[in-house]
Amino acid sequence: MRLQLTDKPGISYLEENLTTFAGLLRSEGLPVGTAEMIDVLKALEIIDLSSREQFKATLQATMVKSRRDQAVFSKVFDHFFLTPEDQFLREEELDRREHELEQRLAEANQDLQFKGEALQLSFEELQQYSALSAEQRNQLKDFMQKTENGKNVEPRFKPVLETIVKSHLRYCRDRDSEKRNSAANFGAADGAGSGGGAEDYLRELDIAAIATSDLPTAEQLLQKLSRKLAIKILRRRRSGPRSGPLDFRRSIRDNMQYGGLIFKIRRRPKRRSRQQILLLCDVSASMKSYSTFVIQFMYGLHEAVRDLTCFSFSDNLENLDADIKGKVALNRLLDRVIRRSKNWGGGTDIGRALGRLMGDYPDRVNMKTTLIVVSDTKTVALEQSIKELKKIKERVRRVIWLNPLPLDRWADYRSVALVSELVEMWPCSTIAQLEEVLAGRL
Amino acid sequence: MGLTLGELRSSFKEAGYICDEQTVLTVFLALDLKKPLLIEGAPGVGKTEMGKVLAQVLGSELIRLQCYEGLDETKALYEWNYQRQLLRIQMNRNLEEAEIREEDLFSDRYLLERPLLKAIRSEEQAVLLIDEVDKCDPEFEAFLFEVLSDFQVSIPELGTIPARNIPVVVLTSNNERELSDGLKRRCLYLYLDFPAVEKEVEIIKAKVPGVADRLAWEIARVVARLRRQPDLRKKPSIAETLDWTRALQALDRSRLDGKVVADTLNLLLKTRADQQLFAGQIGPEGIEQAINDKKCGGEACGCS
Repeated sequence: MRLQLTDKPGISYLEENLTTFAGLLRSEGLPVGTAEMIDVLKALEIIDLSSREQFKATLQATMVKSRRDQAVFSKVFDHFFLTPEDQFLREEELDRREHELEQRLAEANQDLQFKGEALQLSFEELQQYSALSAEQRNQLKDFMQKTENGKNVEPRFKPVLETIVKSHLRYCRDRDSEKRNSAANFGAADGAGSGGGAEDYLRELDIAAIATSDLPTAEQLLQKLSRKLAIKILRRRRSGPRSGPLDFRRSIRDNMQYGGLIFKIRRRPKRRSRQQILLLCDVSASMKSYSTFVIQFMYGLHEAVRDLTCFSFSDNLENLDADIKGKVALNRLLDRVIRRSKNWGGGTDIGRALGRLMGDYPDRVNMKTTLIVVSDTKTVALEQSIKELKKIKERVRRVIWLNPLPLDRWADYRSVALVSELVEMWPCSTIAQLEEVLAGRL
Repeated sequence: MGLTLGELRSSFKEAGYICDEQTVLTVFLALDLKKPLLIEGAPGVGKTEMGKVLAQVLGSELIRLQCYEGLDETKALYEWNYQRQLLRIQMNRNLEEAEIREEDLFSDRYLLERPLLKAIRSEEQAVLLIDEVDKCDPEFEAFLFEVLSDFQVSIPELGTIPARNIPVVVLTSNNERELSDGLKRRCLYLYLDFPAVEKEVEIIKAKVPGVADRLAWEIARVVARLRRQPDLRKKPSIAETLDWTRALQALDRSRLDGKVVADTLNLLLKTRADQQLFAGQIGPEGIEQAINDKKCGGEACGCS
C-alpha cells in the first residue's frame, strides 16, 4: 500500500501520526520506545490497514505491555484516531466550547469589577473563576459587592481586592486539583466498566477523593496489591537451591562415598536477614483517610509478613499490633482504633511519638528495622520532632517517609524540606504511588 | 511462517482453541515478526494451552521450560556432565592413555542440553514455551534477554550459539509479580481474560463433546456470576469450568439447579473462604437467578 507523504522528506502521514500518537501514550505513562515503533511499522505492513479493528489491535499488541496500560491505550486511541464522522463532531464540539469559553470569560470580566473597572486578572484566573460553581461565584460576587459598598472604600483599594480575589481563586484551584486524577484529560473512567477499568481509575485517584461508594473496590484493590507485595517479600527471603557459594566442607564430606571424587556439589544457603518493619501512621484530621488506606494495605501484608508492627500516632503513640495479630476483621479493627484512640482526628506531635517509640519499644528500634512513617510532616514542635527523627535514624536501618501531600505542594512547607533532608521521602497520595514506593523499597 | 491470518484462525478453531480476534491477530503478528509472545492472565484462562496449540498448528515440537523460583541456567540452558567428565579423566588415568585435551572434555558429548539450548539447536523450528516466567527470579529474567532478542545463547566453553531455526517463543505469566520492562520490550504482549458467556459456551461445546446446549449455557452463566463476585479470592478458571461440565455430564444432568450447584461447588471454588462466601452472599437463590438470566450472554452482557 502506498502511503501519502508529508512535506518532510521520506515521512508519510501515517508515520507522522504514529509518532505523535506514541508521544501521547508516553505522556500518559506508557513506555513506548523506538523498538516498539519499529515493531509497529513492520506489523502494519502485513495487516489490512483499512480495517480499524485490525489497526487498533496491531498497535495494542506492539505498543502496550501491560493490562493496566490497555485501558489508557484504548482511550487515547479512540480520541486520536477519529473516524471522519467523529472528526466532524469533534470540530463542532471544539467550536462550541471555544464560543462558550469566550462567553464565560466575558461574563467573568463583567462580574469581577470594582468601581466600574475590571480587575487585572490573567486568562487562567478568569478561567478558574468561570469554572467555579454558581454558589462559589455568587459568594465571591457578594463579597465584592459588599467591599465596593463599604465605607471609605476608594479606587486605590483595587490592587488589594485583586490580591484577595486571586488568593481565593488559588485556594479553590488547589483544593480541586487534589481531587482530580490523571485520566481527567480524556474523560474520567466511568467505573461502571469492567473491574479492570474501575481499579485502574482508583489506583491513580487521590485517596482522599475516593467516594464512599468506591471504597469496597478500593479495599479489594489494596488486598490484591498487598498480597502481591507480600509474595515478593517472602520470595526474597527464600534462597534458591543454587544461589549460595560453594560449601567445601559439605561437598567433600558428601563425596567421601565416591572415593573423594567430587560428584555432588553442595552450596551454602544465602543468609537473608529478616527485615523488621515498623509502621507509624499519622491519624490526625488531615491524614485520616490516608492512614486508613495505609493500615489496610499493611494489614493485608501482615498476613504474610510476620515481623511487622503497626502504630498509630497523633499527639501520642498507640500500638495496633494486638488488634492486627488478633485477626480482627478490618472494619472492626478500624472502629476500635478510632474509639480507643484518644488522638484520632486531633493535632500531631511527631517528636513525641518518635520519642515514645524509642523509649517504650527499644527492642523494636534496631539496625534490622525499617521504619515507615506515613505523615504530611505537619506537626507541633517541629524542631524537637527533627531532633527525635535524627536520633531514631541513627538507630534503625532505614527510614522511609510516605507523604500524602501532592508533590507540587511540598515546597510550600518548611517541615517537608527539613524532614526530606534527613530521610528519604516519597509521595503516597494514591494507591499506585503507595504500591510503587513499597514494592521498590521493601 | 506460511500461515495467513485466516488460516491461523481456522487452525485454532480446528484445534479446539476458541479465542477472540485480538488474540489471533497478536499471535499472527508474533509469528510473522518472529517476536516472542508474552501472554498474561489469571490462572486457567488458556495461556499454556496457547503454546500447546501453536505447536500442534505449526506441526512443531513443543519444548517446555517450567519456571520456578531459583531456576538458573544449569536447569534452563545447559550443564556440563561433570560426573562423566570425571569418570573419563579417571579412566584415562587408569588406562594410561594419551592425555585428554580440554576441548575433548568440553564437547557435545559431555553437554547436558536443557530446554533453551534444545530449542536453539533444534534441527527444525520448535515452539519454546517458557511457562510462568513470573515465578522465576529477576536475575533469570535478565538471563533470558539474549535468547529473546537475538535468539542465541552464550556458553563460555563453546562460544555463542545462534539458533539454527528461530523458535516460536511463548512466555506465560500469572502476573504474580511485575515483569521487567526489558523482558516486555522484547515481546509482543497479549492479555487473556476470562471469556464472555457466549465464548465460554463455545469452549464447553468444543472441549466436552455431547454436552446439552441448555446445560452449557447454564454452566457458563453460573460461572460468569461467580467471577463477578468482587471478593472472591480465586475465580473459577476455564479448566475448572470444563471439569465441572464433565462431572455434571457424569451425573447425567441436563440442567442445573441451586442444589446441584451447591453440591458440586468444590469443583469450582477451591478455597474454604470462597465456599463460605458463596454460602453467605450468593447461595442457591443467587444461582437460580443467574441460571434464568436470559440477558446474560447477549451482546449487552458485560460478563467477562
